[in-house]
Amino acid sequence: MTDTREITLTVNGTEHTIDVEPRQLLVHAIREELDLTGTHIGCDTGNCGACTVLKDGEPIKSCLMFATQADGSELMTVEGMEDLPEAGEDLHPLQEGFREEHGLQCGYCTPGMLMSGKALLDENPDPSEEEIREAISGNLCRCTGYQNIVRSIEYAAEELEAGEIAAADGGVVTDADGSTITPAEMTDADGEFDCGVENCCGGPMTDRDHDSIAGGESE
Amino acid sequence: MKAAQFETHEPDTVEEAVSLLESLDDRAILAGGQSMVPMLRFRLAVPETVIDINCIDGLDYLEEEDGWLRIGALTRHADVEESALIDERYGSFADTAPLVADPQIRNRGTVAGAIAQADPKGDWGSVVLAHEGEVVAQGPDGERVIPAEDFFLLPYDTTLDENELITEIRVPTPAPREGSAYHKLKRKVGDYAMAGSAARLVLDEDGRIENAAIGLTAVDITNVRATDAEDHLEGERPGSEVFKRAGELAAEQSNPESDEHGDAGYKERMVNVLTQRALGDAAERAGLVKRRVSQ
Repeated sequence: MTDTREITLTVNGTEHTIDVEPRQLLVHAIREELDLTGTHIGCDTGNCGACTVLKDGEPIKSCLMFATQADGSELMTVEGMEDLPEAGEDLHPLQEGFREEHGLQCGYCTPGMLMSGKALLDENPDPSEEEIREAISGNLCRCTGYQNIVRSIEYAAEELEAGEIAAADGGVVTDADGSTITPAEMTDADGEFDCGVENCCGGPMTDRDHDSIAGGESE
Repeated sequence: MKAAQFETHEPDTVEEAVSLLESLDDRAILAGGQSMVPMLRFRLAVPETVIDINCIDGLDYLEEEDGWLRIGALTRHADVEESALIDERYGSFADTAPLVADPQIRNRGTVAGAIAQADPKGDWGSVVLAHEGEVVAQGPDGERVIPAEDFFLLPYDTTLDENELITEIRVPTPAPREGSAYHKLKRKVGDYAMAGSAARLVLDEDGRIENAAIGLTAVDITNVRATDAEDHLEGERPGSEVFKRAGELAAEQSNPESDEHGDAGYKERMVNVLTQRALGDAAERAGLVKRRVSQ
């Protein structure tokens, strides 16, 4: 006979009361009891980070804790991102970043990457590349490599910052010289962000080129 | 893979946890769970009962008190990583915390749990050895303090009694002119150490080494002290020649096994190098030595 226990999980703002076996992992409760299959199971050994969710705001691997241990806690999964206030009509800036910067190919690791990225930007809205790499160091990607994932998170950090300035300014982004630009003007016709430096954020180039042109930090 | 069926208890107090340990036969303690959950899932551990101690209040402290740095049984690796006190005063702890596994695991895993797990490749055992720290355990007959030196027995085996629960890990607060550091070699984020060395130096007023303690990771059946190197250092002035010899002695005393990460000879050389680096940082942090700019 299997004993089950009633637990309450608040996932993406919605409270759920479910019965779970003591041995049931949190990731299985999320996927199978709550039918939120955006949280993935990758390696099943605690290495890959595909199952990363936020528990009370902190990223954890939901395959490394039992559902009973999350009783009473607030969880966030990838499904909750588009309902966040900073999400526009469609996607959260992080999700948008992964689309714009090609931060995924197969997409399997993406929910976990998004959760780690979200936790980072909540703590540190303007992270360095090194800080981004550290924040996603518990998440494995086997297709794109990490370059574009880092860019995706950088994209989101910039978008979120622009959004905040816009919000403080009553809805318009203000340029350094006081002229106003709308978010649409910051992107070209293809939706690509253009930083304004020639041969920089518009075209194909190496990091080294970018740094020397844009005068950014080198590693 | 799913864990086998088990019952779960969530005691609210240390006393309740200890009485559960006493009354139940086949049980496991679950703290941070970053090793325990996989062990249950792969059925390396198949206990009838799991005692989840995460509901015990007041065990997640990290503070200096009465001459000790006290780390409660539920203090997570991330708590150490984010602590200003650690950053300012405990170089080896500050070095180690960000090197443990990955960010998600550091948010759940505990320092005390890692020490209880007694994996010879674990980092904290070496640090606590180098700080000549203690493990505080609560059993049916009250509290028992076990010097770190006497704690580790075999891989995954310690001198903790079967009815005892670790409540605290503690190390003495730093003496004046004390510095410590930890260096670890691993292939990638999330890996256990291929080799690691924790060093702590206390200098006297003349700048000589009054006390040296070195703990090594992943090069023996438990975390171990490098006593020959320590003996060589004591009474000497810190410097590259002395540290070089200490590194050699630590390597000679270490006993690594060849595996997919490297052969034993390579690991011994790494013990040598890591120990020299840890000693260099420890001396610098002790305050009296300026580090030479490497060529």
